[in-house]
Formats: sequence, structure tokens, C-alpha cells
Amino acid sequence: MSMVYINIFLAFTLSFMGLLIYRSHLMSSLLCLEGMMLSLFIMMTVTILVNHFTLASMAPIVLLVFAACEAALGLSLLVMVSNTYGTDYVQNLNLLQC
Amino acid sequence: MKVINLFTSSILVTLLMLTIPIMMTSTTLYTNKLYPQYVKTTTSYAFMISLIPMMMFLYSGQDTMISNWHWITIQTMKLSLSFKLDYFSMIFVPVALFVTWSIMEFSMWYMHSDPYINRFFKYLLLFLITMMILVTANNMFQLFIGWEGVGIMSFLLIGWWYGRTDANTAALQAILYNRIGDVGFILAMAWFLANLNTWDLQQIFMTNHKNLSIPLTGLLLAATGKSAQFGLHPWLPSAMEGPTPVSALLHSSTMVVAGVFLLIRFHPLMEHNKTMQTITLCLGAITTLFTAICALTQNDIKKIIAFSTSSQLGLMIVTIGINQPYLAFLHICTHAFFKAMLFMCSGSIIHSLNDEQDVRKMGGLFKALPFTTTSLIVGSLALTGMPFLTGFYSKDLIIETANTSYTNAWALLMTLVATSMTAAYSTRILFFALLGQPRFNPIITINESNPLLINSIKRLLFGSIFAGFLISYNITPTTTPQVTMPHYLKTMALTVTVLGFILALELNLTTQNLKFKYPSNLFKFSNMLGYFPTTIHRLMPKANLLMSQKSASTLLDMIWLEKILPKSVSHFQVKSSIIITSQKGLIKLYFLSFMLTLALSLLMLNFHE
Repeated sequence: MSMVYINIFLAFTLSFMGLLIYRSHLMSSLLCLEGMMLSLFIMMTVTILVNHFTLASMAPIVLLVFAACEAALGLSLLVMVSNTYGTDYVQNLNLLQC
Repeated sequence: MKVINLFTSSILVTLLMLTIPIMMTSTTLYTNKLYPQYVKTTTSYAFMISLIPMMMFLYSGQDTMISNWHWITIQTMKLSLSFKLDYFSMIFVPVALFVTWSIMEFSMWYMHSDPYINRFFKYLLLFLITMMILVTANNMFQLFIGWEGVGIMSFLLIGWWYGRTDANTAALQAILYNRIGDVGFILAMAWFLANLNTWDLQQIFMTNHKNLSIPLTGLLLAATGKSAQFGLHPWLPSAMEGPTPVSALLHSSTMVVAGVFLLIRFHPLMEHNKTMQTITLCLGAITTLFTAICALTQNDIKKIIAFSTSSQLGLMIVTIGINQPYLAFLHICTHAFFKAMLFMCSGSIIHSLNDEQDVRKMGGLFKALPFTTTSLIVGSLALTGMPFLTGFYSKDLIIETANTSYTNAWALLMTLVATSMTAAYSTRILFFALLGQPRFNPIITINESNPLLINSIKRLLFGSIFAGFLISYNITPTTTPQVTMPHYLKTMALTVTVLGFILALELNLTTQNLKFKYPSNLFKFSNMLGYFPTTIHRLMPKANLLMSQKSASTLLDMIWLEKILPKSVSHFQVKSSIIITSQKGLIKLYFLSFMLTLALSLLMLNFHE
């Protein structure tokens, strides 16, 4: 595996660990989600350009669209939590009300 | 010297002369106090000039058609401005102008205190012009222009006192019922356009078509709407909300006969269609009987006369149903005289009693209003067909012809019963309004000595007495009247009329001082107009509105667009997540355990020996 791929894979792993390990703010895990998407996008684009997979050139754009949707969804959840509690501390999410 | 040009020129001068006061609206003449006088004299001159073509026509018996201005040619159909000057229009135009002249003079007295009297006269004149367009039209498009025009002027004139809710409702009712009839008219026009490629009456009568039921049904529907036949009749008694001159002109002599006139115009088409004649006959018989029943217990003098008009219109339709269009036309012309006069007399009574229209509050006017009494009695006698007055020459002929023709016996019986009821309600009007002791307030406002009132009623009085004779003996003979019949058939009309008179007079005299009991069901049926307006005006709109609200608003908007997918999905999600959740919300623990599991599995799977 070449150096580029190892680098990007390392970026992905770091973001992934950042998504799963965080202290109090929900916002930080959303930011790490964006980082994951970014690294995936870079890896996909570089692979396609190097190997001349011309027909798969639309895949990164599709990935970008879906990433935007999920970011919006995550942000709306954040906004709902923030509306209820004023902050986005994770320890607030302990009430089981529907 | 050829005077043939005098015919066409005179009739065009008559028609054009009527439009001049309308064109004077933008000048200072309209705001002048003498505008009503001007309109009245214009109408009287138009009447006198229209006598010339009428007498020329009666002398020569020659139909004429004027075709002026080519308007448009739509592929193969040519529409132009054309006037048909035949038997019907040449006799109707002078009669209508004469009656309108008298009514305009009457309304100069009646509407004297109205601040908008100039506008009133303009509306009356516009109505007259559109009626002339209707009567002299040679193609159906021009007829339709006149047809709609009289409808609109009827609306404006019925709602003259627009501050009154009942007047607005009545005007709207007139427009709606006429609209339903217009659907039939347009059906006939469309059929003629599609099958005969024309709207000209000459071409329609020339073409020999097999089955003409569809356009004839359309024309019958149009006549039902305009002439207030049963089913589309409630607008005519409601139209009495308008001023009395309006009732006299529109809803007795001129506008409501437009439907009958239409059927008379198309009589060559109806001659060979037995089905349509039977339908027409039965419709007319139902109308005349039903409205006569309703007229028996009404308390408003104008409503009784309105129902009387409706009953006579039914009689005209019956006449068309027995294939006698010329007799129906004769009845139109004679009926105009005495019916307009009856309305004008009732207007005189109403104004004299300070706007009292309830017949139960009149009485004792026999000596107080001698001239009005005279004309009321003469008018009622002419209406019921007293021998040798005006009504006799048309009404008695109709009853005789119906009796001796091969026709529907039930329809004939209905017509005879309605004829006797005519005498009954006429007696009722005379008894309550004129005889007995006065039942109105003692304040004396009774005055009939205005020359405008006297002269106008006097002219129509002469018309009611002599016009039948004059018209019958001067017109060209058309269909052969039946001259031999058994003597009981000959005197049938007279017998039932006298029977109605005697019965009504006896009933009124003997029950005069009795206590009025709780009304019987039959009385209630007659007084509430057969419950027809009560059911139809409430039931059908409510059903329509309810159905449209259910289908459009509830079904489409609320259910299909809102409730089926979005709201049901969210509702289901909420309910199910309440049921099946068992989490405690320890997010960090879950994430950490996820990462630990992942890392452990990666290590195990990669670094095994």
C-alpha cells in the first residue's frame, strides 16, 4: 500500500476514534463525522484519478450529497437538544420521554 | 308609386328612435327633470310610427326580412344583423309599444317621489329595446342577445330598491332560474350549429330533419325558465318585490311571454313532433293548475296577480301543446292589455292606501276610487273571458279548440279546473279590495285624480274592451277554427267561469263573519306555494355544498394530502417507540464499547498465527 493511502486511512481512523471518544459536547462528534466523510472523499477521488476509473467519477459527488444530508440531520438533532437544554452536553440526554 | 320602402324604413325608424334617449344619457338631458316626459313621448311616437308597418303587413300579408350588416363568417356560417318582420313581430311590436307607453305614463305618477326616476326610465327603455331585439330577431344569436338583455334588465329592475334584502334575493332568484333555462337555449343553438350549420331561422325551417327532439327539448327548457313554468316558477311571485310599473311591464305582458314567443317562433319544428307537443301540453297544464291553486290563498294583491300571470302563461303553453301557435300569439297580445291594466290598478290602490299591499287590510274602495274600481272590474272580467271583452277572443277560442281536438284528457281537465279557479281568485281580489267596509287606517290619502294615472289606465281600458275585437277581425286568417261542436262544449268555458264566480262569491260572503280556524292542510299547501320554494331553495344548495365540502376539502386536502402518509408515519413512530424502547441514554458508554470491540476484532483477526 502506498504512502498516500496509509495517510488517508490514518486520517480516517483518527476521525473515527474522535467520533467515538468524546467528553461532553455532542458537537465534537459531529465534527469528527465530517472529518470521516472528508477523508473518504479524498481517498475515493485519488483512487479514481490514479486508476483512471472514469465511469466511477460520479461516485465522489454522490458521496458528497449524502454527506450533506446526514450532516443536516445531525445538526437538526443538535438543535433540538440545544433548544431543550440550552447546551449540548451529552450528560443531559438521560430522560426517556417520548 | 311604390311605397314598399316605407315598410322597412318605418320599422327601422321605430327601433332606432327608441335608442335615442339612451344615447342622450351623457348629455344634460339626462339630469333634467323632464327626462321621463321625453322618454314617454318617444315611446308614443315610436308606437304611432310602428302602426304603419303593421297596417301595411295586414294589408299585404307579406313577410319581410331586413339583413343589414355582415358581422362575422365562421368557416361556413355567416352571422349578420337581420330583422324578421313577419306576422308575429309586426303585430307584437305595436302592442308592446302601446302597453309600454301607458306604463311609462303610469310610472311618471307612481315613481314621482323617487330621486332616481331618470335612471328608472332609462332601465325601462333599455328593457323595451332588448325586448324589441328579441322579437324581431331573425337568427338565434340576435335572439339570444335580446333574451339575455331582458334577463339583465329584469334583474336591475326587480332589485330597484336594493336596500331591501328581499328585493336582492328576488332579483338573484330571477337570474338563477333564467340561467337554468338559458342552458336549454344554448343546447338548441349548439345542436343547430352542429347539425344544420346555421343560426338563421329561414334555413332552420327549410331543412327537413328526422328527429328534432333534442333542440326542441332545449327550447322547451328555455321557455320553462323564462316563462316560469312549473319547476322553474318561483322567481315570478318573488319578482313582485320590484316596483309596480316593473311588474306591469316585465312580469305580465312582455318579458315572461318571451319564452312562449320562442316556442311560437319555432312552431314549424314542433308541428311534426307529437312527443314534444304532449310534453308541452302536460307542462302547461301542470303549471296553470298549480299556480291557480297557489293564487287562491295569497294575501298580497300583487302576488295574486303574479300567479294569475303564471296561470295564463301555462294556458299559452297548453295552446302550443295542442299545435295552435297563432292562438297562443293572440292570447299573448290580448293578455298584455288587461294584465298590465290589472297591475296598474293595483298600483293605484297601493299608493292610495299609503303602500298597503295586503288584501286583508283593504276594503270599501268601491265608492272611494271609482275609476280604479271600474278598470279593476273590467280587467278581471276580461281576464276570466267574459264574452266579447278582450280575453274572450283568445281564451274562449283556446278552450274550444282544446275541447274539440284529439288531446290528452287529463291536461284538458286541468286546464278547465284552472279556468274556473281564475274566476275564483279574481272574485277574491274584487271582494277583498273593493267591497265591504274599509279595513285600513282612517288617515285619508286616497287620491286618484292625477291625469297621468287616469289617462294611462283609460288607454289600457279601451284596449281591454276593444283590442280583442279589433285584432281578431283584422289579422290574416291562419289556422281554421273549429266552428261546429256540441253546445255543451261550446259553453264549457263560460260555464266553468260562472261556476268559479258563484262559488267564490258564496264562500266569501258566507264566511265573512266567521272566526278563522286553524288552517287546514290544503290551505297550507296552497299558501306556502306547494312547499316548492321551501324544499328546493334549502335542500338542493345544502346537498351540493355538503357534497363539495366533503369531497374537495375533507377528502382531498385533509385526508389524501395530510393524513395518509406524513401524519400517519409520525404517529406510528411515536407510538411504537414508546412501546419498544428500553435504552437509558448512556451514549459515551455505547460509543466506547463499540470502538473497543472494533479494535479488539481487528487485532485478533490480523495478528493471529
